[in-house]
Amino acid sequence: MSAEPIVKLSAVNKTYFRGSESIPVLDGLDFEVPDGAFQALMGPSGSGKSTLLHLIAGLDRPTKGSVQVAGKELSKMSDAELAAFRANHIGFIFQSYNLLPVLTAQENVELPLLLTKLGRGERKTRAQTALRVVGLEERMGHYPRQLSGGQEQRVAIARAIVNDPQILVADEPTGDLDRKSADDVLELLGRLNTELKKTIVMVTHDPAAAERATVTRHLNKGALQ
Amino acid sequence: MNVVSLAARNVLRNRTRTILTVLGVAVAIVAFVLLRTVVTAWNVAVDYAAKDRVATRHKVSFVMTLPKRYIDTIRGVRGVRAATWANWFGARDPRNPDSFFANFAVDHRSYLDVFDEMQVPPADVAAWKADRRGAIVGDVLARSLGVRKGDRLTLEGTIFPGNWEFNIRGIYTATRRSVDRSQLIFHWDYLNESLPESRRDQIGWTVARIDDPSRAAEISRAIDRTFDSQDVQTLSMSERQLNNSFMAMFDTLLDALDIISIIILAILLLLLGNTIAMGVRERTNEYGVLRALGFLPRHVVTFIVGEAVVLGLIAGVAGIGLSYPVVEYGLGRFLEENMGGFFPYFRIEPTTTVAAMGLAVFLGVVASLVPAFRASRLTVTDALRRLD
Repeated sequence: MSAEPIVKLSAVNKTYFRGSESIPVLDGLDFEVPDGAFQALMGPSGSGKSTLLHLIAGLDRPTKGSVQVAGKELSKMSDAELAAFRANHIGFIFQSYNLLPVLTAQENVELPLLLTKLGRGERKTRAQTALRVVGLEERMGHYPRQLSGGQEQRVAIARAIVNDPQILVADEPTGDLDRKSADDVLELLGRLNTELKKTIVMVTHDPAAAERATVTRHLNKGALQ
Repeated sequence: MNVVSLAARNVLRNRTRTILTVLGVAVAIVAFVLLRTVVTAWNVAVDYAAKDRVATRHKVSFVMTLPKRYIDTIRGVRGVRAATWANWFGARDPRNPDSFFANFAVDHRSYLDVFDEMQVPPADVAAWKADRRGAIVGDVLARSLGVRKGDRLTLEGTIFPGNWEFNIRGIYTATRRSVDRSQLIFHWDYLNESLPESRRDQIGWTVARIDDPSRAAEISRAIDRTFDSQDVQTLSMSERQLNNSFMAMFDTLLDALDIISIIILAILLLLLGNTIAMGVRERTNEYGVLRALGFLPRHVVTFIVGEAVVLGLIAGVAGIGLSYPVVEYGLGRFLEENMGGFFPYFRIEPTTTVAAMGLAVFLGVVASLVPAFRASRLTVTDALRRLD
């Protein structure tokens, strides 16, 4: 693991506005994730962990402060620059998988590659490789409705890694799964971290999931504890 | 797979809703095509009117007659190549008195020379000319009357009372769309000789064939000038003008049909808009996922508008597919056979098909613009929060 942080947030404030009401979520937060780490973020609902994840992933900008990820300052980027950053550097894993039901497993995995200049054949090969990594090569022609929850989440993980991002952000990746499937998914995330050297930041409420991470950080009322 | 094919696949995601929308739009398209075909069929008589024919009638009204001797004068006017005459007979089939068809007493010697778009085999023409009670009927009328060449037909006079016996000597077809194939023509002499002396030698109107279509107005004026000093004055005009003046009486009706067409288009827009808006609302979270993966707002617009285009295309094809059997083989046949005078050629024009297809797609695009714009304006986090 390199000592240089791949994620570095400095004095970050994030405030949401609902009409004239302002809702501060993060207040002067400093946060770092070393390259190659597998960090779990825990905390009660409303503690700001999803907001923090969104800032790291370039889905949102801070109200104040600096967010540096993979050597890029995200707080100053335009929407289009953030979109390009996400496409190139971030892999997303959502709680409810968020696969497109009209696409097969392989096509879902191929989706992020539509934004690249790769040809159809190369896209297909890469999608198949990613599905092989998550152990679903046999299911590439299946639609999400034909897969179990655990399999859907593994397809979502294949989609997250298909363009070889440096960082995976996972928002409650085991929240909708039974214990056995959750363990399989966590096992897979662990392998991606150790074997493929992916940096993983995972929000979770599940202590068993947090145990799989190398570091667990606790957030409460917008501050790290 | 590409962005467009992904948009197309979304159309079939909620099959029931898509099928109902396609059916709704298809029915609206059938109504639109039907109305446009009424308008085009109505105008076909004007569009296809012979440019080299001049009609002359009584200056006061169609229903007033002209002395038969006028035909000789008209034939002598410079520029007139041939001329014929006819009388409105107004008889009906006693077996089916409510069924209207045009029937004329015509000059059998000259009528088919002037109206050469009525196609009759020469042998049948000769047989007709030789038989005082001979009649020629259009193929559409022959079918609806159930008569064939050689049959005897009895009609019941309304303007000229009594039963009138005819021998069907020929069936005419047409070389031009504007020709009403539901007419019956017979010898004017047969009618004239049956009338009391005081009513004889009167003709309804004349039609002259002229050398130069560009001189139609000039020749019309020349004919009318010839009869200026006579007791009975005339009004002459080209066949196109004559048809136009007839159609002008129905301008309001045609305007009403245009308005109804616009209302149908508005219904179509609402149907498509509702379906697209529902689909977009249900899939907002997915658009958030796509944005998270790096897709841009313009990609979201492409997904939504692309889906609307595909929906419009499917609905357009379904609507046009339904329109042809309904218009061409159902209502169209019925109108041609029963209202041939108004709708001699009630068929869907290619321009109507193109317009219906284009409008289905165009309105799909218009209906999708607002939902697409709204979806593209959502922030990624807001879109993801919709269901997550």
